[in-house]
Amino acid sequence: MADKQLEATRAATAFQKAWFGELRRRVFDERQPYAIVQADVPFELFDLLDVPAVSNQWWAALIAARRQAPAYLDAMRADGLHDGLCRYCSLGYASTRYGAVQELPWGGLPTPRLLCARLTCDCIQHVFALWAQALGTELFEIDHPGASDLPVRWWELGRHEWRSLVEPHRLSFVVATLERLVERLEAISGRRLDRDALRRRLELVNLQEEIFDAVRRLIATAPEAPVRMTEQITNVMATQWVRGSGWAVAHARAFHDEVQRRVDAGVAACPGERARLMWVGAGLWHDTDFYTDFEESHRAVFVWSMYLAFGPDGYIRYGLEDPMAALASRTAGFNEYLHSPPWAAEWIVEQARDHRIDGALVLRPRSMKPAATGRLFIERALEDAGIPVLPIEADVVDARAWDPAATRAAVRTFLDTRVMT
Amino acid sequence: MSSAIAALTDAFEDPSTRHGGTTDHARPVAVSSWPTVPIEIVRAAGLRPVVMRGSAASTPLADERLEVDVFPNRLRQLVEASLAGRNRHAACVVLPRTSDPDYKAFLYLRELIRRKVMPHQRVLLFDLLQSNGPDVRAYDAARTRDLFETLVTLGHRSASVDDLRDAIARANLARAAMRRLLALRRGVPRVSGAEVLPLLGAFWRLAPDDYAAFANEAADLLAQRTPLDTPRVLLAGAPVDGTALHAAIESHGAVVVAEPGPWGSDAPGEDVSLDGDPFTAVAERYRRNAIGQRTPTVAVQQRMRHLADDVEAVVVSLPPDDTAFGWDYPALRAWLEAKQLPHACLYHDPAVPLGAADHERLATLIAAARPRVGAPHG
Repeated sequence: MADKQLEATRAATAFQKAWFGELRRRVFDERQPYAIVQADVPFELFDLLDVPAVSNQWWAALIAARRQAPAYLDAMRADGLHDGLCRYCSLGYASTRYGAVQELPWGGLPTPRLLCARLTCDCIQHVFALWAQALGTELFEIDHPGASDLPVRWWELGRHEWRSLVEPHRLSFVVATLERLVERLEAISGRRLDRDALRRRLELVNLQEEIFDAVRRLIATAPEAPVRMTEQITNVMATQWVRGSGWAVAHARAFHDEVQRRVDAGVAACPGERARLMWVGAGLWHDTDFYTDFEESHRAVFVWSMYLAFGPDGYIRYGLEDPMAALASRTAGFNEYLHSPPWAAEWIVEQARDHRIDGALVLRPRSMKPAATGRLFIERALEDAGIPVLPIEADVVDARAWDPAATRAAVRTFLDTRVMT
Repeated sequence: MSSAIAALTDAFEDPSTRHGGTTDHARPVAVSSWPTVPIEIVRAAGLRPVVMRGSAASTPLADERLEVDVFPNRLRQLVEASLAGRNRHAACVVLPRTSDPDYKAFLYLRELIRRKVMPHQRVLLFDLLQSNGPDVRAYDAARTRDLFETLVTLGHRSASVDDLRDAIARANLARAAMRRLLALRRGVPRVSGAEVLPLLGAFWRLAPDDYAAFANEAADLLAQRTPLDTPRVLLAGAPVDGTALHAAIESHGAVVVAEPGPWGSDAPGEDVSLDGDPFTAVAERYRRNAIGQRTPTVAVQQRMRHLADDVEAVVVSLPPDDTAFGWDYPALRAWLEAKQLPHACLYHDPAVPLGAADHERLATLIAAARPRVGAPHG
């Protein structure tokens, strides 16, 4: 694994490990409830009601990064689950269902009190229903109404005009569902949700994302990228899971300040940078070294992924008189903005221009059907904007069919023939 | 072939939007991608529903725009027809929210129109949710009313709640006729799956009065047939919308007597209630009866187990675009093993012909099922 260049990255990794250790201690020693949730549910509600939430995707990424995924994926295949079924969102379930095949990272997940998922793609409801059955745990579903009004430049509306982003009937539905989630969490924790505290938390989320916006601007405008994409992800995601908390805001500031110092001092992630790359899609968690492997050979550096950029554009909501509605407006359209036309392609092209991107690598996920949609629109839009595209066929957690040497060779050819000509 | 059977089969097989039966040929067409867009709503609004199906026809235009293995064949055919201009005379295309690929196809078509890749056409989403939350029913009822009001505008006519009640009553009568056809598959069947599926599926094409008349006549004729004394097979897994798999299975000397989904055993489902608010009744019936990718796991499991009650073998279809039914397979396999029911899985697009290896597996399966015919099991 490439050396970490930022002190903030080491601090973020240490925090996550300590946070998870503390969670296990609280669950086992103090019998406190916690939840396993999809990455797109409103974590703020769980945190405010003192039901810590573990992201399913984070857990899957951790298993993959420790190269432990293949054993579970083999077990899934042996049990008759065909290879077309989504592996990313189901790896956590597999680690429960087939837990006996190996020891889990960091001691494994204790049994949660609640599972919670938005029913975005079709597999989620099935995976979480089976997981809830395997754990003997309750499942709370947040259904996902479809969007019919499609404001193209959504990121320009999200901060101040968020009510215009989501049709009233969808917003009302998601608000009602979140209110039921609050009732459930209140019953589990024995606490009441303080609406003023929710408003204050969302104000802090806004602050955190404003800081990330400033980091994004530094990366976009600095002569050479000051921070690698992989370190952006570590710092951003460690804070996003506890967003709006004291630690999250403080860490976002520390991350920003360190990046600012590097820019001021002219320190680059890849000195002599010659090509700026963007990664479109979820991270290749089983091979994160991939993202730094073209620095030495081509001075090509990955500067952009959705993980940092989506925070400011997807999360900030001003006008918090009705904090639950603001939270619902963010929750309602998450996946569309990242994966579906027209939203994803328009945003990604805008981001590519802002970040002076020379070439884009677009993930073609093998088994993640929802994440695979919209990809052809994105590839076309980037090419139409003059940004060369290299599709990368891979599964983000399944390394079994990943050929690291062949893929790296393809990227080098792409850089030589289309990007650095 | 009798005229009734021929009329139903023709209506089912016709890939165009032409077929309207005798009573409503002149109505504007609403093309939809799956039979979870309520025909009662479409008809009450003055339109004629045409539900697209998968086929073995190539889809070169759609293949440039749709990712591989994500969209089922029927959606590739629908997008192909739209891009090729074959849907241009339709008043609208309606995609239901009952699967994520349908929702994505809605977004794609809207985007292709925005980018002027295809000419302007009204493309609508019918946002029918299927989870069990307390807010879902009211949401679905409101979306159903909204669809009705939009379609009335597109149909350029006035329509009232009474028109909807009338459409419900007529569709319920057609369902009653369909149940007579389904009854001929139970116990010792009198009709093959490949022959009866078009007779059931024509419900989604013909005016209900026409359908009821033809289906009743067909049921009378089929009831006279000699019983089929061959292994009875359930075609489980992802619902199919064509007869290719039925024909393949039956070519080995079996008869398909059940299959989940709105083109087959679940086609009639429950009647739509005529009590209370008709929009709520329609939404509730379609929410409860929809068997598809977003159907709750427990409902899928109950349905599959119920359909497997009276068969000698099970074929499980899990096509490349499946994201849902495969999750139930380990539990289904365990259940089948406990009942000592032989089964085989097929993993290809059910609209295209099977390969030799799959045929061999079917032959082995049917041979294993043959001694069970007539024997009590379970």
